[in-house]
Order: sequence, then C-alpha cells, then structure tokens
Amino acid sequence: MTLAPQHIVVIGYGPVAARLAEELLPSVRRGELALTIIGEEPTAAYNRVLVADLGVGRTTEEAISVSDAAELRAAGMTVLMGVLVRRVDRARRGVLLSDGTWIGYDKLVFATGARPVVPTLHGLNPDPTARVPLPRGVSALRDLADAAVLRNAVVRHERVVVLGGGILGLEAALAARDEGAHVTVVHHGAHTLGRSIDAGAGHTVAAALRARGITVVSQARAVGVELSPGADGVPTFSGLLQDAGATVEGELLLLSCGVRPRIEVAAGAGLATDRGILVDHQLMAHHDPHIFALGDCAEVRCLDATCPECADNSGPLGLIGPGWRQAEWLAGFLSDSAAATAPRPTVPLPAERAPVIMLKARGVDVAAAGDVSAGPFDDVPGLNISQWVDPEHGKYVKMSTRGGVLAGFVSVGMPRAGAELTLLFERGSELPADRSALLRLDGSDGDSGAVAVADPTRTVCRCAGVSEESITDAVTGGCATVPELSATTRAGTGCGGCHGELKSLIEAHFAPAAA
Amino acid sequence: MTAAPNKTSTTPGAQLPASAISPPLGQSSTTPDTRLRAVSLAAAGAGAGTDTHCPYCALQCAMTVTPAVPEPTIAGRDFPTNRSGLCRKGWTSAALLGHASRVTTPLLRGADGQHRPIDWEQALDLIADNVLRTRAVHGPDAVGVFGGGGLTNEKAYQLGKFARLALGTSRIDYNGRFCMSSAAAAGNRAFGLDRGLPFPLADLDNAHTVLMLGSNVAETMPPFVQHLAGAREAGGLIVVDPRRTATAEFTGDGAGLHLQPVPATDLVLLLGLAHIVIADGLANTEFISKRTHGYDALARSVASWWPERVQSVTGVPVQQLRETARLLAVGAQRGGSYILTGRGVEQHVDGTDTATAAINLALLLGLPGSTTSGYGTLTGQGNGQGGREHGQKADQLPGYRKITDPAARAHVAKVWGVEPEDIPGPGLPAVELLASLGKPHGVRTFFIHGANVAVSAPNASEVLEGLRQLDFLVVADFFMSETAREAHLVLPVLQWAEEEGTMTNLEGRVLRRRAVLSPPAGARSELWIMSELARRLDAPSSFSSDPETVFTELRAASAGGLADYSGIDYAMLDAGAEAYWPYPAGSQGTPRLFLERFAHADGRAVLTPVTPSSRSARDTLFTGATLALVTGRLLEHYQSGSQTRRVQALSDAAPRAELLIHPLAAQSRGILDGARVTIANGRGTVRCTATYSRAIRSDTVFLPFHFPAEENANLLTSAAVDPISGMPEFKASSVTVTADTPIHAPADAVSEQAGSLDAALEAVA
Repeated sequence: MTLAPQHIVVIGYGPVAARLAEELLPSVRRGELALTIIGEEPTAAYNRVLVADLGVGRTTEEAISVSDAAELRAAGMTVLMGVLVRRVDRARRGVLLSDGTWIGYDKLVFATGARPVVPTLHGLNPDPTARVPLPRGVSALRDLADAAVLRNAVVRHERVVVLGGGILGLEAALAARDEGAHVTVVHHGAHTLGRSIDAGAGHTVAAALRARGITVVSQARAVGVELSPGADGVPTFSGLLQDAGATVEGELLLLSCGVRPRIEVAAGAGLATDRGILVDHQLMAHHDPHIFALGDCAEVRCLDATCPECADNSGPLGLIGPGWRQAEWLAGFLSDSAAATAPRPTVPLPAERAPVIMLKARGVDVAAAGDVSAGPFDDVPGLNISQWVDPEHGKYVKMSTRGGVLAGFVSVGMPRAGAELTLLFERGSELPADRSALLRLDGSDGDSGAVAVADPTRTVCRCAGVSEESITDAVTGGCATVPELSATTRAGTGCGGCHGELKSLIEAHFAPAAA
Repeated sequence: MTAAPNKTSTTPGAQLPASAISPPLGQSSTTPDTRLRAVSLAAAGAGAGTDTHCPYCALQCAMTVTPAVPEPTIAGRDFPTNRSGLCRKGWTSAALLGHASRVTTPLLRGADGQHRPIDWEQALDLIADNVLRTRAVHGPDAVGVFGGGGLTNEKAYQLGKFARLALGTSRIDYNGRFCMSSAAAAGNRAFGLDRGLPFPLADLDNAHTVLMLGSNVAETMPPFVQHLAGAREAGGLIVVDPRRTATAEFTGDGAGLHLQPVPATDLVLLLGLAHIVIADGLANTEFISKRTHGYDALARSVASWWPERVQSVTGVPVQQLRETARLLAVGAQRGGSYILTGRGVEQHVDGTDTATAAINLALLLGLPGSTTSGYGTLTGQGNGQGGREHGQKADQLPGYRKITDPAARAHVAKVWGVEPEDIPGPGLPAVELLASLGKPHGVRTFFIHGANVAVSAPNASEVLEGLRQLDFLVVADFFMSETAREAHLVLPVLQWAEEEGTMTNLEGRVLRRRAVLSPPAGARSELWIMSELARRLDAPSSFSSDPETVFTELRAASAGGLADYSGIDYAMLDAGAEAYWPYPAGSQGTPRLFLERFAHADGRAVLTPVTPSSRSARDTLFTGATLALVTGRLLEHYQSGSQTRRVQALSDAAPRAELLIHPLAAQSRGILDGARVTIANGRGTVRCTATYSRAIRSDTVFLPFHFPAEENANLLTSAAVDPISGMPEFKASSVTVTADTPIHAPADAVSEQAGSLDAALEAVA
C-alpha cells in the first residue's frame, strides 16, 4: 500500500453526487480512495424534489439539505463549492476550474445534472449558458435562488403564471395556490400532464385544479413576455403574450418547460453526447475508461447496437430515484476496484423500470405509469383496458394490461388504488381478475367491512371466547348488567372492547318486555 | 393504584407441614426454605387464594389462584396493568397444572428412541459425565446453554452464572434474542438504556395519540386494550399492520387510522413520517436542542424520503402519512402522544434500525422523557424484560452489564467470589449458537431451559437437524415439547403456580410469582438442578436452590448496573410495592425513566440516522407468483404452543394452523375457502388449510407460529439476522401458495367450479 490512493474527481454537488460521496465515505476513510467534489452552487447538495415546497414556504432550506460538506471534509474529501469546471483535459487527466485551479484525476465522474429549458419567447434569451440573467419576474424552479423568487411572490399573494402543464408545473401551481398566490397555468397541450396521462385523466386533473381556484389555459401558444418598468425602473415581467388570446397578466412567470442535461463540458472534452453524456451499462463514457457519468446528465446507451435495453432509450430520465441507484452502484464499483482485495465479480446495474409519475400535491392524488393512451374499445392486440370514470367526484382510474400484468395505469383522486397500482406496476405482478377490487380500496366502507350477519354462534367476546348464545342464555338466566354478565360468562373480562355489544344484547332482551 | 395485598401468607418462615410438598428424591444439601414456602392444596383452606400473576405474556396480568378440585380456580385481580381483566389463556391457565401429559420423572432416551424414566441421581450424574467428557475432548465452549424469556429472574440469573462458572462456557443465549433484541439494541443506542416501557402502562390512558407499529395487542395481550380507550375516544389510535388485525379494527368508526403497508417496509414508513415532521415544522425544536444529539445528520438522512416516495414503497397513501404525523404532533400538545413498537416491525434484518427510526420519530416530536408522552416497545414473553437483564444473553452479565466491560466483570466476579478472568467472554447470539450445534468447533452438549426451539427458531428444519447432531441434549420442561422429544435426557421442572420467584413485566416493574400448589412428586426446580450439577462439576461460588437467596445475590450482582435491583426485596414486593427498576438500594425506584436525563454519559438521547438495508427482504418478496408471508400469534395460543395446545378449551377454539389469504390472491390460485394448501419456499414446506380474509393485504398471507410439524410457520422463515441485534427475519418471507386440489376457473367460460368460487367469494364479501 505504498501507492497513493486513486483520486476520483466528481463534477457537480447535487443530490446524486452527494449520494455517491456518501457511499464512498468508508473507502475514503480507509485511505483507499481520495475524492474531490466540485459544486457550482455555494451550498451543499439539497433535495431538488422539494424546491417547490421551499418556494411556497412549506419547508426550510435546512430540512431539504441532503449532504454535509463538513462531514465529507472530516473524512478526508476535498469539497469545493461556488466554482465551475471550465474544461476537462482528458490527455493530461485533469480539470481546470473557473478560478484557475488545476486538479488531476485518476477517475472523473460527471454529475452535472440538468438545467431548466428557457423556451423561445420574445424577451427571453434562450441560450442556456447566457451570462445575462432572466428578466426580473421570470424564473425557473430548480435551485434555491429560484425558490426564493417564488417565495417572494407567494408571501405577497401575487399573480403567478406557470408556463408548462407537466408534473413540476402543476406541483408548483398547486403549492403556490394553496399558500395564497393567484395562479394561472398556461400550457400548449389539450390537457395537462399530456405526456403521462390520457385525456380523461387530464380533464379530471384540470377540473381539480379549477376547483382549487387555479386558472388553466390549455392549447395556448405563448410567444413572448411583456415587461414593464418596476418601481425602481427595472424592466419587470407583467404578462405572458399568447399567439391568439389575451395576455395573461401576472407578477411572476414560472418557467416549467422541462430540463436539459448539462453536457457542454463533456462535449467540449470530446466525449460522445446525444441528449446526455453517453455511457455504457457500467456508467462509463464511450471510449474513455477513466470517465463516468450518472444522474440527469447521463444517457445510458451502450456501443452494442443490438442491445435490447438501449433500444427504446429515450434519454436521461430526469428522476432522482434512478440517479441515486446509479450512485450506489457506481460507488460499489469504484470502491471495489480501489480496494486491495481481489475485486468481486461485477453485478451489473439493473435496468430501470419505466418510472411511476406521482403528483406531489396535497389533496390531488395522481399516479401514472406506462402507456395509457388506448381506450377500452380500441382494438390493440393483447392489450386490455379497464376504466372507472366519475368526473363529478374527481375520480378516474385506467388500467391497461397485457396478460393480466399492468402495462400502464393512471389513477386520479383514488389514493389507495393509486398506491396499490404503483406497487403492482413496479413488481410486474398480475392484477386480480376482479379489477374493481382495487377501486373498492378507496370505498367509504373500506375493503374489510364485513356485513354483520345474524349468527347466534358468533363470538362476541374474543378475549374470553364467549358466543352470543352463551350471553343471551346468561341474560335470560338473570344477568342484567355487564358486570353480572362478566361474572357469569367471563365475557368482557379481557380488553373490554365488547362492553357496548354486551349492553345492546341486554337491552335487546329487555326491550320487548318494556314495550 | 397499589396492588391488593397478598391474601395468603407466604412470607419467609411461614410454617407448613413438610408433608405438604413432595420431598425431592435423594437430595439433602439444599435448604428446605423453598418447600416451606409452597402452599399445598391440603394446607390451604377452602377459598384461600394466592395472589400471583399469569404464566404467559409480559403483561403479567394479576390473578388470584385458589386451590380446588379438579383444578385450581383463577380470578382476575385488580392491578394497574390488567384491571382485573384476563384473556382466555389466563382464565384457562390452571388446566395445565395437573395435566395428564405432564413429565414427572427424568426421562432418558434409549437406543430405540424411546424415553424411559430414570431417577434424579442417575440423571444428574449422567449430565455431569457428559459435560466433563465434552469439555475434555472439545473444550468448554463445546457445552452450550439456551435459556428462555419465560424463566423467572432468579432462574435466568442463575442460568447465566451456571453457564459461565459451572460449565465454564461462553455459549449461552436465549429465545429472547428472537423477541426483544432489536428494540433493546435500538433503546440502548438512543437512550443508553433499554426498558420496554420506560413509563407505567397506565400513563397511556390519558394519551391523545397512540401509534402502534407491528403489534396486535387485542390478541396477544387483550387486557392491554383498556389503556387505548382514551386515544380511541380522541380519534388518535393509529395501528400500522399489513393485516387489519383485531387491534387495527379498534381504529374504526373514527377512533383513528389503520395504515396497511407492504411487509418489510416499516423503516421507510417511519423515515417518511420523520420527513414530514421536519419538513412541515412539527418537530419540537426546543427538546431537540436541549436533550438530543445528531439532529442535523438525521434531518439530512430523511430529506430524501418525501411522502410520495414513501407511498411508492410502502403502499400507504400520502394523505394517511400526513395525517399520522399531524395526529402525533397535535397529540403531544393535547394529552400526549406515544409511539409503541412490536415484533412486526422489529423482527427483520433491519429491525434495530426500524426501532431506531421509531425512536428518532419520537425524539423529533419530543415525546420521550415526559410524564405524558413517550416511546416504548411491547415486550412479549412473560419475563422477556427481566430475562434480558441478568445474564442469560451472550454478551451480558447481571444488571444489564456488558460482559466485555472490565469494570462490570470485576463487579460481578466479586459478588460471585471468583476472579474476573474466570468469567468467559461474549458468546454467540441465538441464531449463530443454534447454527453451531453439532458442527465442528460447535456445541456438542446442550442445555435448553424454557424454550421450544424446534418450533420457535427460524428455519426450524435446520435447527432440528442441529439438535439431532448433538452428543448430548438436555431439555428441562414440564411437557414433552417438540424439542424435548429430541432430547437425550428430559428433566421435569416446575410450573408457574408451583414456584416462588420474581418476574419483571413489560413496564420494568418487578412482580412476585408465588407458589400455590405442590409440584408432582418427580418434578424439581431448575435452581435445584443447577445447584446439584454445580456441586457435581465442582463449580466455584455457590448455587442456591432457594429463590429468595438467589434473588438476594441477584440484587448484589445488579447493584450499580443499568438494571439495578439492589433496593428490591421479597418482603416489599409481598407488601404490594410498585418496584420499577432501576431501584438502587435506598431509592424509591423509577416508574418513569429519562424525565431529567437520558442514560448516556452526557444525559442526552442520540439521534442515529438509519437507511433501509440492501439486505432487506423488501426487494425480493414478490417475484412472479410469490406472496409475502407474515407470522404472528393467535389469541388462543402462546409462543410455540407447547402449553396452550394442551389446554382443551384453547385447542378446541384454535386446533390447527390456518393460512389467512385474501380471496383475490386465493382466487387467482384456484384456492377455495377452507381448502388444503401448500405454502413453500427454498427453506421448507407447510401444509394447512386456507381461510379467506379480506383483512389482509392481497399480496400478503398470515400464518400463526404456534403449531408444530408440517404446520410449523418457522419452516419457512429465514435465519438471516440483523447485524446489530442478531434478530432473525421472522416477519417477511417470500412464499408460494398452491392448492392441494386446485380449482381452475376457465378463462373464457363460466364453469360450475368457477361459479362455486364466485359464490365462495360472495360469501366473504
């Protein structure tokens, strides 16, 4: 062990990079690995999934933090924050930082994530690397600074215009509305969540949004932003211009038009990229065994053109769960290859199942996965559709199955059905032949309520094992109070849960006499 | 609120005719005190009852036992825990005292496999010979001991001492490893101390919110339910169980919530609740800053468990998670909130971390260390609490002392009159100990006291195989249990109403168990057996056969330890004292722990971040047609059923194992209600009848673990253990369920059979 430990450099300090660092802590503590992590933001990693909650004031920065730079440093890692990587030199195996620092690496990991898409709108600069910031009153919702902008609008109960009808847009809209902002959602599709759900579910969701006081403008084509001088004279957002239709006025425009992987540094270093940085099933960049990528910036597509897993690849998933699984896997791979002991056989990174989309909103339950475009009477070979539609009460469930196994589903306003369908989809389990059993989970009677049937042999007191017969016999024999019954039959002498029923049986016996 | 005074005089020195009890054969070296304290049927006047406690679970319901013919009568007695209540097991407990199948003489197995009576002298000499031979050939650690959570404090204490000094082995552990070890490890880690309930049970009465995870008290300890009335009234009873158990039913009609997670996802559920508490500002920040360590790291660790993610793993809807967090937080402000865990969440490979997550949640809300709120774990076995404090655990010495702590060794060595180096070091936890039976370098001669491992241990068929590989197996029991049948030598011992001693209930309150009857002529107390063997093995120190003498020694050995009993004596217990440990000499005991400080050196509780284990059964439960198997207890039976299956009334009510299966899961497998089914996995096969139940998740089945042979649920459970506590994974096994005579419903035609299946489904709807 006279060799210096392998030096791993991680570009990015978001939640996926943080998970990688956390998993590598033991190896770094043992001195088997050295690690440098380089973050652009001035703060340690936080859970981006909760930025909307932060933006509406439902939670705190502290509560969404997922990493502690001090802990990583104490273990011997180098943590740099507030610095950018300017370029990567693969020949010399090093990275050059914005402050001029040069850092050499043995292994380099891209965890650069993604940035919000700035749509082509008159008045906005769509260049993702633009140094000129968005106009005042226009913001995405991805980082802490964005959350602060939203927070400002929500506390003042301002008018917030959300551009985009996807999952993140709706979550922001609902949260902002719940916390007091006036919200309009503008999107170009026929219904919200167009990519994940079908028209019926979309209409049900739109109705739920409207019921909560959110204005929904569908099939809109936004063309520009209207800026007016603010109190201090600085041009400030005042309305969203549409191709046809009225300008949607507001004080804040929240851009929710998707994200784009951050690949420019990788591309600049000559690595293969498409929508993301191209990596194989070991998260290794094409043709460079020293470089890896994971999370939102990575696109798994191997060099084998016939690989079935890569055949229907649609670019980075943009979801945190798969990113964390990649981080856990890569940490194992890197620490195994650094450990002095013989490397374990590499267990391949399991392929990701199609994701389940869940709307994070209070009181609006939406879960969906897979393809739900077909209707119950469409003739799609092998595909069967079951559906439950109750627009008046905001409920909509569609299950699409192949051989009894879910190929896709959407559930709106049915929380337990949604939760069970999620589990069944992820397991690939067969659905019950009686599909309505899933719907009944949300029924007012629950699924366990057995109808009480008159049966004199049934047990009234479980604790002492006393039947209704024995109790009525005792009552006939003269027991007129619960204590008397207990003394005679032992009924009601355990948990006491049947006292009410004992009283009723006594009353039932004496009622006819009184009448 | 104090116990009713003892009606029968059982104070030392009470003179009874010697003929009142059966004189043990061929022994003269023991003190006659034990015998004198026993009240015989003949000596007790008609109607003179003796105050004692139920033989079964950790609630230790107070009862009065009155000798009568054909069997003693049982009456519930007013006491703060059971308030005169008893369950069927308690009511019928006297049925075993004079039971016809009682073992009443030592039995030696012959070459033909038949057990035949031998006398005690022969039996004891034979044991001593075998111990000496094993020790000479294989070393002292080839002799092992397995204890039980049903043994009195005196027996548990003396068993630990016997193993270490008389046998000279480190190889002792007990069946409590299968019960309380995860919660105990979590309690020690968080609070620096493990007492199941760190408060009197009656404190629950005024609570607004009670969150119970993985515990079915309505069946396992019914009189407990009385203490949930307040929370039910307030709409604050929350039960977490994959099954709508009798306890979960109590949440109906607005009394609270039932959360029905997928098995083995409890840890994630708790992380999600902690997430909500922090994110929504429900945490008690003043408590956290003044009384705990580790908040920042904990907050970071739960930041990634937002409610929707938790729903996608557990199947529990977000709204129920939020409502649970809210009820806990609101309850803490109004009357109090309690979080209680049971085996359902603890018996997993991540059981310690799951109990830790429950404690973390309680600490975030500021519940522990209060007079109105708290966290507790519900101890299962009769003396599951005391049994884990006084030295029958592989890593412990009396007083809940660590066997590796030099100061602890020095203290105990001094009490025992030996040198610290005479006490062996830590041994093996139960699952490892059982796995070593008959193996090279493993245990060759084995003692089992108060346990029926052939039924109760995980992966039971391998345990049975291990028992059969032993050179010599001694089982002390009062019935021919499934384990006793495997023994070379069976020693008949005393039942609860035939012995004196103390038990420590689920609250950490020390109670007196009293003798009511004289034992059958050939049965002996385990204290006497140990005393006789110690003499034959030329053991150092002393081994009394008198419970009170042993208790006096236990007090000295526990003095200064975490579980300090030094201020407790029989006289004060007989006078009805409420003795909660720690009870150092000169103190008044400790009904409520942690009010001023936690038991760590700096007085603070520790928040330990925990994450779901990659070894959890969670990810492998459902592959293809498999279902998740959970196991548990029925109201009618206790543990391996060795006792309750012999009580006619209980056996009539629940004679066989029945698999609870949701009609949906049954239907797709062609299983009719009441049909014979086979439940199988790579470890074993169980055959029993299926019973339809809409109370269980459709991906989960339930088997009670009280039944032997082909109905033994533990043929299917895994011996994979929690790395911290050694707790096996009892509560989540992946199984297939098939009908022995399947009814196949044709896909495209309504046949008669399908029709009958539909009718069967209708019937349960």
